Amino acid sequence: MAKIEDLKEEAKKLLREGKVKYIIGYGAGSNGWLAAPLFIKKPEDVDKLVWDPTCVHNLVRFLVDEKRRKARQKQPDKRPVGIMVKGCDSRAVVVLLQEKFIDRSDVYILGVSCEKMGVVDDAKLAKKLAGKKAKRVEVDAQDRFVVTTEDGKIEMAAEELLAERCLECKANFPVIYDLLSGEKTKRPLDKPFGSLEKIESLSAADRSSFWKEQLDRCIRCYACRSACPMCYCDECVVDSINLAVTADTTADEKAQRIHWIQRSAESSENLVYHLVRAIHLAGRCIDCGECERACPLDIPLRFLNKKLEKEAKELFGYEVGFDPALPALISCFRDEDPQDFIR
Amino acid sequence: MEKILAKKSFPQWVKKLDSWRVYIPRKDEEGRWNYFEADGGEVSLDVLQTTLPPKKILFPQREVFLEFAKTLAGNRETLEIKEVLPEVKPTVIIGARPCEARAAWMLDEVFGGEFKDVYYWKRRDQTTLVGFACTTPPSENCFCTSVEGSPHSEEGLDLLLTDLGDRYYVQSMTAKGEKLISAAKALFEEPKPEAKKQVKAAHAESEKKIRRQLKDARPIAQKLKGMFDSPLWDEESMSCLRCGICTYLCPSCHCFDIGDEVESPSPLKGQRVRTWDTCQFPDFTMHSSGHNPRPDKASRLRQRLLHKFQYFIQVYDKFMCVGCGRCITLCPVGIDIIKVLDKVRDHGA
Amino acid sequence: MELNVYTPQLAKIVQTKDEVVGARAIKTFRTEFANGARFDYRCGQCAMLSVFGKGEAMISISSSPLIKDYLQFSILRTGRVTAALHDMEVGDLIGVRGPYGNGFPMDAWQGKNLVFIGGGIGLAPLWSVVQTALLRKSEFGALSLIYGARTSKDIVFKDELADLKGQMPVHLSIDVAEPDWKEFVGFVPTNVLEKKPSPANTIAITCGPPIMIKFVIKNLKDLKFEDEQIYTTVENKMKCGIGKCGRCNIGFHYVCKDGPVYSWADLKKLPQEY
Repeated sequence: MAKIEDLKEEAKKLLREGKVKYIIGYGAGSNGWLAAPLFIKKPEDVDKLVWDPTCVHNLVRFLVDEKRRKARQKQPDKRPVGIMVKGCDSRAVVVLLQEKFIDRSDVYILGVSCEKMGVVDDAKLAKKLAGKKAKRVEVDAQDRFVVTTEDGKIEMAAEELLAERCLECKANFPVIYDLLSGEKTKRPLDKPFGSLEKIESLSAADRSSFWKEQLDRCIRCYACRSACPMCYCDECVVDSINLAVTADTTADEKAQRIHWIQRSAESSENLVYHLVRAIHLAGRCIDCGECERACPLDIPLRFLNKKLEKEAKELFGYEVGFDPALPALISCFRDEDPQDFIR
Repeated sequence: MEKILAKKSFPQWVKKLDSWRVYIPRKDEEGRWNYFEADGGEVSLDVLQTTLPPKKILFPQREVFLEFAKTLAGNRETLEIKEVLPEVKPTVIIGARPCEARAAWMLDEVFGGEFKDVYYWKRRDQTTLVGFACTTPPSENCFCTSVEGSPHSEEGLDLLLTDLGDRYYVQSMTAKGEKLISAAKALFEEPKPEAKKQVKAAHAESEKKIRRQLKDARPIAQKLKGMFDSPLWDEESMSCLRCGICTYLCPSCHCFDIGDEVESPSPLKGQRVRTWDTCQFPDFTMHSSGHNPRPDKASRLRQRLLHKFQYFIQVYDKFMCVGCGRCITLCPVGIDIIKVLDKVRDHGA
Repeated sequence: MELNVYTPQLAKIVQTKDEVVGARAIKTFRTEFANGARFDYRCGQCAMLSVFGKGEAMISISSSPLIKDYLQFSILRTGRVTAALHDMEVGDLIGVRGPYGNGFPMDAWQGKNLVFIGGGIGLAPLWSVVQTALLRKSEFGALSLIYGARTSKDIVFKDELADLKGQMPVHLSIDVAEPDWKEFVGFVPTNVLEKKPSPANTIAITCGPPIMIKFVIKNLKDLKFEDEQIYTTVENKMKCGIGKCGRCNIGFHYVCKDGPVYSWADLKKLPQEY
């Protein structure tokens, strides 16, 4: 079992010796049962770190912020940041390394293995609790969840509470790390794309109306984009202005920028936004599920990304985020790549 | 005016409101709460909080301001612009939380004043707000009592209904409210003196059930004046994702964008629209030169909090926060406005 | 009918003039309302200009409110809307709504000397005051102008400045030396120190790039100008122009409504958010 004590010890050492700028980890959240991202700068704050099945967030997203922060500083502190990663999150680090968005020396990776478990799905838990407030969620020795509520403890089988992505997880333990806590054990995985079966069985017309209904709810708060470690572009098609603009950008460049998508949260615009995002994540999404979790309107965005993950696997035998030395799917060409789309 | 409405008469009353467009909070198949048009369907009186507040009815996410078109007559091109004003049917929002109506009472300030916003007022003037006193807090993060509101506050409401078991105690604050009662006069009875006592007790009880508290909100507002350059904003915004959840789903946030949407570039045809915008997006304040007065998450979190807890008070003597807790509940990274303001209050203490 | 604050009036471009060409092009436009709409404004106020299909941009009015025949705007080509404006020709229609903002308190300046200090396109909002002060010359003391641009090609209102020299002292500058340049070489704030305007019974009005304003104010302070004697304008991104859309605020002030004109005494009390 992964132990937070292992990480704490290392984190304290790193901070004391000044080997990292700060550590991105999980701490207790103030809002209910869910952990929250925690940024630790001082060794004495390390004891606030927690590791439990509510550590759902993909903290790799904050490496994007760190890069932006460094870009704004005149003399940036070049030391690495320490970061707690689960298996899925570690694969996001791999993609950022593949894409040369970050350098291996930018991060000190504190890996935790989910082993046979994973993280809880907040919606599933809320449904189970039916109004009761959870205080704590733990895993017992039999790999069951133990939920402490206001009026006592409830035990639940892993499958009842695990996030969908955890049920389809291909890497329960980090694939890249400087320190690993926990065993490299996996959940048995029969159907890696099982969650897609239902939607794939629908006719094109039914799928289309399914997505119209889902995406019509979108209010374009961009939480999906904001929560995603891969959505790091300074120039995004949905923004009103290119954030990469500087004093040197010419008036022509700014004037000629095409507004592909209107700001209005209308069916057509929402559809284009989500499809553009999905396509840009093809071969890059590591299925951390943060986009779907962050969405306040419960749009099942994971389906889109999972489908493209499946396409990448079936067409190119490509699995995202396992090898930092491998070229990224979209930026490489191999002779054996399928050609039959050329007609 | 104060009345009693038997619960069993409630659906009949709603049916009688057929000359209004009626919105009610309802749960969809997936358990998501939202305000829907009643269209004669079931009226659910559960007390959960909708994800989107009824702000979207008074201040829709997209509003057309005008239409523009160029036409060619012979070889002369003429440009025509046509102002578009919304055609609004009389509307009732039934089951609004008192805090959501309080937000309208705040938005009235923003959209009123020297420059009256006709789009907002076209809707607002036609809308009657029927609130339900929250006998159980609709969210675990409710803190209305800390920001000068309460589970039974009347600001912004036309009618307030309080659950007294098998009947509602109905308080009408405005002529608009009385009009709704008049639509089905026979269903309403005069309240007996003990009902008044009961409603008072129910209101007092409901206040006790609010689980969260922000202490000393007014002193915090004072203190914020000296904290513009505090390192606190950077610390507290580290985990911010820069998404728009906290503001888009806030009942009182009202920032917007105005832009032209082109349907056809040649001959030119399109619309000028207002859409929701948020201080949390980096492009919100970015100048064309690339200069951005609020370049980082810290300055944007600060703007959100100062707007709500300092600037609005300086200008209107009201908080711009109703304490509904949505920004806390729905923040993907658990940024908690109460905790941040707690730190402001305790700062340097 | 209720007045809709968001609906612009159509105005016809009746004159255009290239002030500066090239990468930082500046063009001056004169417009007349298509339907003879009234538009009373104060010096320093702005108008929201529309290019339909592109959007709106807030632009300061550079003509004097005492001239009723037209509105004049001098516009730097910098983004989507301003680029579209630069592509427009005499006879084309734009939208104008406003006026917005507080404007300069010229009545309060009666009997005082006025020194105008501008940089680049920053002369445009000052121009309205300069023209008005000239038309009401008897009401003010001595007038003078200190103005600079990056190069001689970036100087706006070249012909008008030549004429102005007959009416008040005009001190020009460019940032780096050029063969035929006979006036000051260096930044505007340095020229202020060089020309040493006297603070006695004087109001200094400055407008230009933020960094220039910052050092002009610093140098005026060194010349013993009081905070109340220094006026400047602030620019922030705007959409509504009427203090509602939420983006141009510095502290609790909306620049569009409560600004853009500030005395340094007032501005220094507000957070540095511009």
